[in-house]
Amino acid sequence: MKALILVGGFGTRLRPLTLSFPKPLVDFANKPMILHQIEALKEVGVTEVVLAINYRPEVMLNFLKDFEDKLGITITCSQETEPLGTAGPLALARDKLVDGSGEPFFVLNSDVISEYPFAELIKFHKNHGGEATIMVTKVDEPSKYGVVVMEEATGMVEKFVEKPKIFVGNKINAGIYLLNPSVLDRIKLKPTSIEKEVFPRIAADAKLYAMVLPGFWMDVGQPRDYITGLRLYLDSLRKRSADRLANGAHIVGNVLVHESAKIGEGCLIGPDVAIGPGCVVEDGVRLSRCTVMRGVRIKKHACISNSIIGWHSTVGQWARIENMTILGEDVHVGDEVYTNGGVVLPHKEIKSSILKPEIVM
Amino acid sequence: MAGSEQRVVAVIMVGGPTKGTRFRPLSLNVPKPLFPLAGQPMVHHPISACRRIPNLAQIYLVGFYEEREFALYVSSISNELRVPVRYLREDKPHGSAGGLYSFRDYIMEDSPSHIVLLNCDVCSSFPLPDMLEAHKKYGGMGTLLVNKVSAESANQFGELVADPETNELLHYTEKPETFVSDLINCGVYIFTPNIFNAIEDVLKQKKDRANLRRVSSFEALHSATKALPADYVRLDQDILSPLAGKKELYTYQTLDFWEQIKTPGMSLRCSGLYLSQFRHTSPHLLASGDGKMSATIIGDVYIHPSAKVHPTAKIGPNVSISANARIGAGARLIHCIILDDVEIMENAVVIHSIVGWKSTVGKWSRVQGAGDHNAKLGITILGEAVDVEDEVVVVNSIVLPNKTLNVSVQEEIIL
Repeated sequence: MKALILVGGFGTRLRPLTLSFPKPLVDFANKPMILHQIEALKEVGVTEVVLAINYRPEVMLNFLKDFEDKLGITITCSQETEPLGTAGPLALARDKLVDGSGEPFFVLNSDVISEYPFAELIKFHKNHGGEATIMVTKVDEPSKYGVVVMEEATGMVEKFVEKPKIFVGNKINAGIYLLNPSVLDRIKLKPTSIEKEVFPRIAADAKLYAMVLPGFWMDVGQPRDYITGLRLYLDSLRKRSADRLANGAHIVGNVLVHESAKIGEGCLIGPDVAIGPGCVVEDGVRLSRCTVMRGVRIKKHACISNSIIGWHSTVGQWARIENMTILGEDVHVGDEVYTNGGVVLPHKEIKSSILKPEIVM
Repeated sequence: MAGSEQRVVAVIMVGGPTKGTRFRPLSLNVPKPLFPLAGQPMVHHPISACRRIPNLAQIYLVGFYEEREFALYVSSISNELRVPVRYLREDKPHGSAGGLYSFRDYIMEDSPSHIVLLNCDVCSSFPLPDMLEAHKKYGGMGTLLVNKVSAESANQFGELVADPETNELLHYTEKPETFVSDLINCGVYIFTPNIFNAIEDVLKQKKDRANLRRVSSFEALHSATKALPADYVRLDQDILSPLAGKKELYTYQTLDFWEQIKTPGMSLRCSGLYLSQFRHTSPHLLASGDGKMSATIIGDVYIHPSAKVHPTAKIGPNVSISANARIGAGARLIHCIILDDVEIMENAVVIHSIVGWKSTVGKWSRVQGAGDHNAKLGITILGEAVDVEDEVVVVNSIVLPNKTLNVSVQEEIIL
């Protein structure tokens, strides 16, 4: 089987992290985001992944080369020279996706984190005999999204309602699809929206089905959702493979610590923390609801909550970092400095406190 | 032995509970003159400066606080300095000259040759012995300590003009609307006993004027007495202004530090000034440590002997820690006053703040001010018995006594 991952552009919503790496390579729970998806695809027998990308494909391919061998999966890029929307890239990659086997192929939105229940998706798809399956997820405020109206028993999609003012349902498109090759015949090589143009037409032919995504779902395309997404991911990890989470007297709730990271005495870590490879967390440090990326050093008595600490940054002694502070790559926060919602671009030194949320260029 | 003509009596005006409202919420718990700066009550600093005057016979504290508020302090400081210190309570405010005059019998008991008069809410190195020598040389009735300040800030004080040659006070005006001079009155004076004659003259004039008014109009008298009682004599307007340029008053300029302590923000700054003065005058009061056996100490820090500070804590510069305070492992204190019985828990951070009596600051909490001593919320103040729970951040805020903070606050006054 094959899969197409819609990577898209600059990932501006996840800046300043995406100033250093393309969004799919930004770490999430100690692993580049896209690897979560590629590994799950590999598990259900996908042999080739096509990345639809329009920005710096060479960085991606260089990075992913190692994983091709490690996972035994082929990874290629399909580069748009002009924006093609969410469906156009499928037409562009048509030759790579169609191999004559007639097997359906996956299409994934790269921002989405979930348990990726691809095996169930394949089963569901084969059972209904339609042309395409989309996964849907339940949301609290459907009026913010495009709602998928479906037949409860069969999952057959009746229609899509964009940002409904009156309640028509609470399931929205989760950005995970399994499509028969015939769907490609419905897409032309021009800017097209798969959600707004292609799917409604398949639904009109009664050949589009929706499967409710079990487990959690989060679009982690922006910092706040990234932090929430980590909580949901770690909750799910607790249920699936609790042995991968840290334990001990200094751990509260779900915490992921890379085996190469070092943690000092008298720390209190958690809940919902990921500490990446090579990190050093010195004595008396408090971490909660945060991501500490590869190579970071957190010095003694620092306290970090609800924040993301970018690669190879350092946080000084008695520093306090909170409230959606995002430190880009190689940022250095001085001793005793307080940052409340500071968004700091890469390679900066922060010597005085940031009392109100602001962007440090 | 020095003759009686050499004796000096010092009078320190301490004010009363209706004064110093700008010092809230700290003055809700303790009379402002007893609020600790550099670990010692505010009034202790002028008292120990007075102690350095040769032939000091007596120190009087004059104010309208209840006697009992000063009883304990006055008895212990008398013992400590081996000089009699006595609190004299005014029945009502008389103005600083009026207050002095109303206790003239006490003050003259020791037949002093000179009277030192100063205000308690002044922070200075109080160069009193040198000032006394200068005063004797000038030969006038009084000498004022003066200080040069920026032209923009001068109008908050008494502005004055002095003869650059003789140092005679030529002109004096209190808090003028327009700029007069960048030399200001520091609120520290040395007088000969003739000052009482000068005050008596003013009182006589006032009485005469009041009598005149009584004849002319009952109404006028009523409003005049309401504004200022007949026995109320201000030192600045009633004595200094009229006597300027009459070869009675002289000035002595301090080149050392001088500040007025009207607000908690200024008290934090002044605590630091007194701590740095300790470096020269009382180095034994300053803490030291390198983090091995005792906490790491940076700059000037006072720690009361009964306070417990964990060796992994890092303290300073400009920190004073009062009695029975407990500073936990890995705590960090910078530019702050920690009052009695406070507990700072593990890994907490306190910067540019005053932490009130019996308060607690939880683990990994942060109490911080911007450090602007003149701004209303330039430092953070926790009143008595305020609990900051674990990991809470309090920035640029004032918290009144007996509050618990379980969420972070910024730029707030919490009633």
